[in-house]
Amino acid sequence: MDERTSGTARDSGGDRGAAALAGRVLSRGRFLALLAGSAVAGWAAVKVLGSLTGGWRINTVEQPRPRFYAHAYRLTIDGLVEQPLTLTYGELLALPAVRQVSDFHCVEGWGVDDVQWDGVSLQTITDLVRPSPEAGFVTFHSLGEIYRDSLTLEQALLPDVLVAYRMNGAELPPDHGPPARLIMPRMYGYKGPKWLTRIEFRDSRDIGYWEERGWRVDAWIEA
Amino acid sequence: MDRGLTTPDGDTDGQPRFIERFESPSRRIHWTLGILYVLLLLSGVTNFWPEVKALQFADVRVFAWLHVVLGWAFVAGLAAVLGPLLAPTPAGHALRADLRALTRAGLDDYLWLQHLALRAMRAPSTPPRVGKFNAGQKLNALASLTLSLGLAASGAVLGVNYMTKSVFGVGFVESVFPWHTALGLLAIPPLLAHLYLALLHPATREALRGMVLGRVRRDWAREHHPAWVDEVERAEGETG
Repeated sequence: MDERTSGTARDSGGDRGAAALAGRVLSRGRFLALLAGSAVAGWAAVKVLGSLTGGWRINTVEQPRPRFYAHAYRLTIDGLVEQPLTLTYGELLALPAVRQVSDFHCVEGWGVDDVQWDGVSLQTITDLVRPSPEAGFVTFHSLGEIYRDSLTLEQALLPDVLVAYRMNGAELPPDHGPPARLIMPRMYGYKGPKWLTRIEFRDSRDIGYWEERGWRVDAWIEA
Repeated sequence: MDRGLTTPDGDTDGQPRFIERFESPSRRIHWTLGILYVLLLLSGVTNFWPEVKALQFADVRVFAWLHVVLGWAFVAGLAAVLGPLLAPTPAGHALRADLRALTRAGLDDYLWLQHLALRAMRAPSTPPRVGKFNAGQKLNALASLTLSLGLAASGAVLGVNYMTKSVFGVGFVESVFPWHTALGLLAIPPLLAHLYLALLHPATREALRGMVLGRVRRDWAREHHPAWVDEVERAEGETG
């Protein structure tokens, strides 16, 4: 078919001669150059879009979206503990703080590397309230009382589990659950409730919002 | 092929009023993949709207689930194109010829784009004699093809990750995710342009008839695709 068109084109000469060239304007070299150009454009698009969103996708089932007022905020730590505790925002910030840089992984397939969190280690909080011997599980509740999730006490006492109140050097932005969220870097993000208002020590497992809908209870990240 | 059309649609000059543009396998492919493509983009953008994304039915997030199911249907649809594409039938031949014409660029395409630019600047310009597809249609086809293949490949990884975490490592999945997002967002402007030209723009709307019924008005085709009409009429002269 190619040969036939270029044949007729050559016959009619002049204007058509240019058209005969036409079929060959996109030579293999130019095609490869175009392909390379598209790859660079795609790479740039990924970088630009990535930096625009910071890599984060916002997920929440809390509706309406909880709002944080520093003067009204309380963090309650109760359940099977010897010394229940209610902290104001100021008291939470006054506890011994730790800084952690960890990767955040979402079950949906996106992740954000090297997030810097400031907060209080859950070990510190646990030491303050002294769980009773029968407490084997911890449930973390969101401000709107819709979302909650849980860890075993053993998991909760891993050294990198944090009640985080600063992200990359600033207070948690509205979509990231201010004033504090749970960070459990070894598991997918749904294990870390945002707008954290209650930490409850229990003798039975209250699995959690998504776990009740079939998601894995122990959401370890396997590299 | 045209004989059936000649009698009822015959114009005063004796020529059929319509001219055959797309065989039914081409149209079927276009509508199957096209409708899935639009639904995938719509369910995909809910990712940027937490309240909508959280909508559930039977304990499953509706749009995430739909997106994955439609995505697999799209992958299956792409694979199914191989059937008609390789079929040794006249329709298969027409499909291959269209694909060849769409993926071939030349001087006329450059001139057509130049004509478009000059017209946009209200400068006088005459278009080159366009064949079955103009440069805009070729660019649309090329964009759809690249984006479809890229979205299907990256989406397949994310679709597997949706169902099980034991096939792909978390690092690999997370390196694919931003590509899927970027390709999805890049797909929106050409799609909007395509929909506008096919559904709204008066001068190009006639092309929709070609993709729905398979044929277009001959006078419209003569204005927008003169070289193609010449080619068809030459073939008509040879066969009938």
